[in-house]
Amino acid sequence: QYERVGADVTMKCGSMDWDAAVTWTVNGTDIDESHLNGAYLILKNVGLSQSGQYSCYEGSSWHLKYQTNLKVGTPPKEPVLMCRSNNYPKGFYCSWHLPTPTYIPNTFNISVIHGTKDMVCEKDAIPKNRCHIRYLQLFSTVKYKVTLTVTNALGKNFTTLTFDEFAIVKPDPPESVVAKPVPNNPRRLEVSWQNPSSWPDPESFPLKFFLRYRPLILDQWQHVELSDGTSHTITDAYAGKEYIIQVAAKDNDIGTWSDWRHHSSSHHPLSFLAETTSASTSSFMAPPTTKICDKGAVVGSGAMAVCWTAGLVVAAYSVLFI
Amino acid sequence: SPTGDSWGIFTFLCAALCNLPALPALNCSEELGAGQSIQQTYDLTRYLEHQLRTLAGTYLNYLGPPFNEPDFNPPRLARAERVPSATVDLDLWRGLTGNARLAANYRAYSRLLCYLRVLDGQVGTAELRHRLAHFCASLQGLVLSIGGVMSSLGYPLPAGPAGPPTPPGAPAAPNDFLKKMDDFWLLKELQTWLWRSAKDFNRLKKKVPPAVVTLRLEARGF
Repeated sequence: QYERVGADVTMKCGSMDWDAAVTWTVNGTDIDESHLNGAYLILKNVGLSQSGQYSCYEGSSWHLKYQTNLKVGTPPKEPVLMCRSNNYPKGFYCSWHLPTPTYIPNTFNISVIHGTKDMVCEKDAIPKNRCHIRYLQLFSTVKYKVTLTVTNALGKNFTTLTFDEFAIVKPDPPESVVAKPVPNNPRRLEVSWQNPSSWPDPESFPLKFFLRYRPLILDQWQHVELSDGTSHTITDAYAGKEYIIQVAAKDNDIGTWSDWRHHSSSHHPLSFLAETTSASTSSFMAPPTTKICDKGAVVGSGAMAVCWTAGLVVAAYSVLFI
Repeated sequence: SPTGDSWGIFTFLCAALCNLPALPALNCSEELGAGQSIQQTYDLTRYLEHQLRTLAGTYLNYLGPPFNEPDFNPPRLARAERVPSATVDLDLWRGLTGNARLAANYRAYSRLLCYLRVLDGQVGTAELRHRLAHFCASLQGLVLSIGGVMSSLGYPLPAGPAGPPTPPGAPAAPNDFLKKMDDFWLLKELQTWLWRSAKDFNRLKKKVPPAVVTLRLEARGF
């Protein structure tokens, strides 16, 4: 038996007369006579704690005359529905939940209409409250209309989403974000990552990336947007400081940015120590061509090692062309 | 943004000039090679998509409600089928040859351009006429650019209908509301085509045979 929170509930003791002598119990515990009106049990303004098994026994014989399992709950509020394509162009998924619990069982029914066609959204085993749809056609001008209806014993509610194929494209965050300090260059960090594994076709549907980083101790982020490639070298890191580095992905042309990989406030931030200046390079000679070096190279022997290496590379290259 | 517009105008002018057959001395597409022409065409579609957003906003406001409401989702009427649709079966789209892919784009934009020009002759406000004219010019540049890519890859240009989209005897939209619906669907199809083209050209970029570029270098005595 399902009742709304705050309702007044009256229970009859089966076929017993109003003036019969009866005892009511809830979950085996006797109920005080103040709640009785003759043989009827009156529960005013029921709350969640009053859910339970109610039984009515005839006074002297202690025969069970009536029993019911009372569940107190609420009718469903408008559900929250979200649809997203993290595997474009394969299809999309929708997931939903109730903003507040109802405390009683609910059933969800989802319908997807594309123009005049009804599409079937296949329910996922895990997580529950999620279903997915495969695109049969690409580049559709007709919107998709998804309606979610939630029903329980006390009522029903629904919500609708209408969207274009392009509007819901949002990849998963990039995977395996790794940052390595660059040897002998304390201001550099080499960051690399991979396309999210859920994105099926990065060749034809390339992703672009957004990288942001800051030292743990500062609040201001540095931003870099990259239209291709899955790596980037940060050249202005502070030596010896721990960094938070985050990467997000987006389809090159449509949709919205993914969430950040490694949100710093929830889990361990992806932090890296920019390498401290190494001391070992006094044996290198002054570089033959100083102009190839970065203008922003840090003072110290580490910078000299970079210049020397760059000089060697240019020399080798020129030899090939003679 | 102003810088975006200037850059876009520059790109479109370059693409248009480089592909005009009337100026053989400026045969830039051969110099650049197919790969770079594809990149240029891709950039043009992005520029046009950006331009269309502003144009469509203004035009739909001119049409008035319900056309300018974000949730407006009307059923397609049979008459709207004359506008070429970008919608395509997923596997079919994947399997398109370079020629078929480019030809589909070329044909679609040629026809969409015709429809847009008809629209241009009918709109009320000066601001809209100006925006439409600018957009048509850019769209013409895109058609030429696609044509240029096809030529540089050795594909024949599709023979398109040069005349107006409707045969002279056919009736125009029977009433004002249906005419506005036609305009709405035209803009929608245009927007979808521009989204599709970005993906078409991405795919083409990966597939341009390097042999084409090499041949051109050999011809120049490298």
